[in-house]
This record gives sequence, structure tokens and C-alpha cells, in this order.
Amino acid sequence: MAQALEGIRILDLSRIWAGPYATKLMADMGADIIKIESVDRMDTTRGGINPPSGSGNYPEAEPGEDPWNRNGWFNSLHLSKYGVTINLAKESGKDLFSHLVTISDAVIENYRMGVLARLGFDYEKLRSLRPDIVLISMPAFGNKGRWKGFVQYGIGQEQLSGMADMTGYLDEDGPMKSGINHGDPITGSHATGAMLASLLYRRRTGCGVYVDLSQLDSSVSLIGDAILGYQMTNRNPARRGNRHPYLAPHGIYRCRGEEEEWVAIAVASDTEWQRLCAAIDKPGLADDERFADVLSRWRRQDELDAVLSEWTRDKDSNDVMQTLQAVGIAATPVESAEMIFDDPHYQERGLMELVDHPSTGPQFMPGISWKMSKTPGGVRWPTPRLGEHNETVFGELLGLDEAELFDLEAEGVIGKVPTRDN
Amino acid sequence: MSESEGLLSGYKVLDLSSGVAGPYATRLMASMGADVVKVEPPEGDVSRREGPFPDDEPHPERSALFLYLNIAKRGVTLNLDTPTGRAMLTRLASWADVLVESYQPSRAAEVGVTFEALHEVNPALIMASVTDFGQTGPYKDHTARTINHYAYGGLMYITGRPEKEPLQMGPRVPEYGTGQNAFVATLTALWHRESTGEGQHVDISVAEYSASILENALTMYSYTRHKVTRMGHRGYGRAAWGMYPCKDGYVGVIAGPAHRWPAMAELMEEPRLNDERFSTARGRQVYADELEALMEPWLMRNNKREIFEKAQNMGIAFAYVASPGEIYSWEHLRDRDYFVEIDHPEAGTLDYAGPPFQPEGVPFDWTPAPLLGEHNAEVYGETLDLSPADLVTLRASGIV
Repeated sequence: MAQALEGIRILDLSRIWAGPYATKLMADMGADIIKIESVDRMDTTRGGINPPSGSGNYPEAEPGEDPWNRNGWFNSLHLSKYGVTINLAKESGKDLFSHLVTISDAVIENYRMGVLARLGFDYEKLRSLRPDIVLISMPAFGNKGRWKGFVQYGIGQEQLSGMADMTGYLDEDGPMKSGINHGDPITGSHATGAMLASLLYRRRTGCGVYVDLSQLDSSVSLIGDAILGYQMTNRNPARRGNRHPYLAPHGIYRCRGEEEEWVAIAVASDTEWQRLCAAIDKPGLADDERFADVLSRWRRQDELDAVLSEWTRDKDSNDVMQTLQAVGIAATPVESAEMIFDDPHYQERGLMELVDHPSTGPQFMPGISWKMSKTPGGVRWPTPRLGEHNETVFGELLGLDEAELFDLEAEGVIGKVPTRDN
Repeated sequence: MSESEGLLSGYKVLDLSSGVAGPYATRLMASMGADVVKVEPPEGDVSRREGPFPDDEPHPERSALFLYLNIAKRGVTLNLDTPTGRAMLTRLASWADVLVESYQPSRAAEVGVTFEALHEVNPALIMASVTDFGQTGPYKDHTARTINHYAYGGLMYITGRPEKEPLQMGPRVPEYGTGQNAFVATLTALWHRESTGEGQHVDISVAEYSASILENALTMYSYTRHKVTRMGHRGYGRAAWGMYPCKDGYVGVIAGPAHRWPAMAELMEEPRLNDERFSTARGRQVYADELEALMEPWLMRNNKREIFEKAQNMGIAFAYVASPGEIYSWEHLRDRDYFVEIDHPEAGTLDYAGPPFQPEGVPFDWTPAPLLGEHNAEVYGETLDLSPADLVTLRASGIV
């Protein structure tokens, strides 16, 4: 079956998470993504050359002979992409890249600001090679503005974009970090949107587009309501633990598991409160004057939390969910990775796909992030090992013969074994 | 509409979605020039009641959330609980290239918003359903609020201190992120349509967004059966990859590659940081407490902004925990013309967070969000050929 983005070819110089996530969303849907690394600077998420046994994200925590091809983090982000190596610091590497630009639709990069230009490939140069090329350039703080030379990762964007400031426990003064680096997928998905919107624009007008994507701008876009709210109220949003500005009860409640197990419950109205009281088989609670209306419930949240915890404490979080969802109350387990694997809803929707990779054997990977009825997308092949598609891309696509490939490898321009540790 | 073309000029979008995720997707489309008609029930989108509001006075035309999410859209009202309203919707669906909706699947069937029915009247229609749990699966009609989006799908389990309960985040990241992916998925379908003329149904859920951005957690479990859990202020349990108190707030101390580690000792005027044990990510995990004790005195002597700028000027990726108010004051964002001044008839003139990315030379559309039903006459006249007299009848019957 034809896939939606079949025929689009993208040169991907990006690394770590934001850029690779951006091109993953397109690879899932059939685009040809050529992931470019080099043997002396492979993507850092491939991990080290010789990590200690028993650590890190390798099958059975064993790094093995070629750990850079066995890292789960890297291997989950580059499914269905072509993997090549080019040393862009060398002249013949630049020639190879230039040749690829002439037959590609777009380039995406998240180097430090200015690095791509120093390598000899600013937008003007790319356009001279391919007049209607799209370039998505995504340095941390963008390509203009006084902080443009500053550097950052997704972890810092979460702090600079207000997200950390708005997050924290009620019994502490300070902010709290999230469990992931939100700046990355946020920027990544915005970059995919920029790419597809630019390609649609090019399709209509014939013109290429240069997109300056600041990871900071992109992240601040997710608190746009708070930016307006600050101007309206002259106040920043309060940190509120697991509570809500006006819903109560609202929080997470301990369930029976020996390992920690919790359920999140949010009650939004008098009707929902009445239904909750009936569902948990405490009819007296519905008539309890302490909790009679929205305001009294809001004022007595500690007491409410105690009542709910007492009910959830000896129950399975999935049972609590089913009991409350049956009467239309928002209740969901606080899921660990293990619970997600076992979750019947995720299983039916096919969240995880079994992917057989030559260096790891078959492993479950998060698959496609949404469903499409006519062009479903899918995992076409496992994440490439370092330089795996050098022959396919440089040989079959660019027409280099074996001798030329041999010379490039001898010169250290291409290769399959890292020469420098991460 | 801007005079020169936006990235998505020419596309017609019928937006039945409410709340955050769907409206953020259509905000992106509208600001890039697509003609987005936002269809609200007669009482308005729920986000009109969310706020914050100027001087904390609730007003359906002054909600920060609504105003931010609905710029550059035209607004109409339509009561889909009536047969007349549903018939009008069917005709609107023939006008549109894209329809975005966010009903729970059972509710969508009640109001006639099903792909099967709409595909029949417009085979080229792309319908994007942006929901909490998706169109299939045993939980498809479950209800969720923001805290549930953090709980279900794994984000909350790994956020917070190991010795405390899991913690939600303050902002609505899962909903916004889902909106982003809905934007991407819709453009993917449009690309396919440009080649084949074929419409299709796209099913985007918050549940899948959350579970797909867990970084290492799912593959770690797949590869090693190890459950990633909460690490508090330390990312991956490492010192110098996290958030630390300083004299006047919190800073992100973020170590880069090994060859840059010596800069840290210089920055913090602490030669003992040059200890080899701290130069690798693994070492910073094993000796985290010791390392943090060495960093603390300098951090507590200095202010966040100075720490951030001093480190950055040395090429180290520090950050600091900034509030929305601080972000609003940053010169860097002014240099980039990031904030856009928009004058709204009810809310007045405010600076809005602008484009998440800047395509050089291609304009965005920053028309203010519509008042409730503002474009009824215009849109229904244009698309359904209804006269002002027809609209009087429809209004009296509670349809618009």
C-alpha cells in the first residue's frame, strides 16, 4: 500500500532527540530519511564505544560487541530511516553531501547555531545546489537574537520555557523537573509541521523555504495561555502539586499494589460528585454537608483526599478506573512502563511493535504515533547500524562504484566503525 | 487574511474541536493562512470558561486560553443536537478540505460527526479526530482531564522525587503536544491528498502522544525489564544534569560532552571539580552527592541570570527556571519579534506568543480570536448561501 509521504527525500543532520523525533514522524509515514552521522562523530544517543557491562539501555543490559548499534534509545528513534556516514569536515565529504542535496527535497539540522554555515552549507549554498530546497534549521535559541550563540538541550528548554516553574509539590517552595526532556519532542513535532507546511507551500508556489526554528520559541508556544494570563493578572501561575485551580477532589490516590500503585481521579461538578459517591458505595457521603457543594469540596480537599484514599487503598488501580469511568468520572491509573506494556487499550491500538534488529534480535519498540485509515504507515525496517546504508545511498542512489566507496572509506570520509568515543 | 501567501493559504478547515489539543492544531493551520472556521456550540467552547481572565473576572470573550488558541479563525455557532444543525454540518463538510473534531467517539456518533457519513458527501475530506483515547480500543469513550493525561501513558510515574508521590506538571503539555501531532498528521494526509485526491480519517490521541514521548522508559523496559522511575531534580539520576537552587531561584546545571567538563571547574571556581571521576556521565551518576556538594557553595552565592549568562558565554548549556512573566520580559525574544501584538475588541491589546518557527519571508496571520458567533452571517452566507432572514429564523430556533 502506498504511504502518504512516499517520494519525499530528506537529509537529516540532526542528532539526539528533537531532530530525530521530527524525522521519525515522517519516516513512519513513508518518507525517505537519510540520517547522516560520521565515524568520528556519531549521534550521542548511540552511547559510548566501550560502556561497562550491566549498565545502560542494551538488551539484557549487555553492551555487546557493537554497543553503538545496540542502544535502545537510539534504536527507537531511527526506525525506517537510511543510515549513512559522511565526514563533512573533509572536501570529499562535502562533495558527497552536495551531491545528495541536488536530489533531495529538504535538509534538517540541529547543530549549534552557525556550524552548518561553517561547514560550507548555509541556505544560499544549499539553494545553489537545489533551488527549491527546504531547510529546517533548529538551533537552541534560533539563528537571530542576542542569545543565538547560546547552547541548550531539551532538559534546559523545560526550565527556560516556564514549564518547570509551573510544576512543583505543594509542601515545597521550589519547582520540579519532569521525568523527560519535554523541549525535545515539542520542538521535534513543530519541526515536522514546519517541514510539511513548507513542502506543501513549495508544491503550490515552486519556492523553497528557509525555516529558523528556535527551540526556545517552540517550547514557549506551549505556555502561550500563561503568557497572556501574566499580562491580564500581573501574576504567574501558582504551583499546585497534583491539585487543580478549581476542581476537587483532584489528585492521585494510593492503590493496593505492593510496588507503588496509584490512580488519578478528577471530579468536575456536583453531578459527578453525586455519581462518585454512589459508585464507591458510600451513599452517606453524598448527603455529607461538609462536601455538599463545589466550594465546600474545594475548601476541604485534605479531608476529601483522606476519604478517597481510604476507598482506593485496597483496590487495584484498573478496577478503580473501571468503576469510576463506568459513571463518567475521569479516573486513570498512574502507569509505569510495565503497565503500559500490559495495558489492553494500548495493546489493541498497537502502541508497541516487535522489530527485529540484526544487532539486538527482536525487541518491542514504540511504533506509529497516530492512525491513518488509507495510509497507515508502519515500521519498514529496523534502525540502521552505523553506516549501514552507505552502499545503498552512495552506490545505488548516487552511482558511486566499489572502488570509489573503497577510497572514501580509506580516507576516513565514510565507514561503519566509530573512531571516536561519545 | 494576509495579502501575501502563508504556508497553508488556500486550505479550508472546519474546526469542530474544543478544549486545547484540536484548537492548537487548527491554531497552527490558521496562523499559516488556512481558512479555519471554528464551529462552537451556542454556549461556546469550554475553553472560554477556563481563563485566566483580566483582573480575574470571568468573561467568555476574555479567556487567555481561548484567545491564545483561536487566533486567525472565523467563528460560527451551530447546535448539533438538532437535526437542522446536523444537516448544516453535512453541507459545511462538503465545503471543507479538512475537518477537525474532538468528540468522544460515542458522542461523535450522536451528533453525526462520523467519517463514514461525511466521507460520503465529500470523498476528498480529511477528518482528523483528536481525542483523549482514540477511535478504537476498550477505553475509547473514557473521560480524562489534564492530570489523567499525565497519569495514563507514563509521564507522571517518572516525574517527581523518588521518595514522594508522582507529580503532574502545571502546563498542559500532553494536550498541546497532541495538537502538534494532529497538525503534523493532518498535513501528512493533505500531502497524500495532493497526490491522489483521496481523503481519509486520521485518529490522534493524547494517550498515544504521552506514551510516545517517554524517552528511554519504554525501550528500557523492553530491552532490560528495568522500570525507569522518579529521579527528582536529577535527569537519569546524574548530578550536573538537572535543576539546582541558587541565590535567587533555580538554575539548570547541564554538563555537555566530556571535553567540555573542565570549563565547569573554571566557572564555579572550584578546582576539585576537575576530579576525573566527575568527567563522565556515569561518574556524575555514581558520585552525584559528592559532586553536588562541591557545586552548591558557588551556586548559592550567585544569581540565576548571572549564572546562566556566564556559563553560556563559556559555551556551557546552563538554563534557569523562568516564570511566564520573566520570559515575557526577555530581550532575546523581542529581538526575534516572537511576541505579536494583537488587538481584540473585548480583551484589548495584548502580546501573544507568536510563531513556533519562522519561515523566512512567509507571513503569518495574526487576526484576533473570533467573538462567539462573530462570523455566522459571513460564513453561512458564503458556504451555505443562507440569507440574513434565514439566519434570523435559525437563531430564533436555537440552531445558531
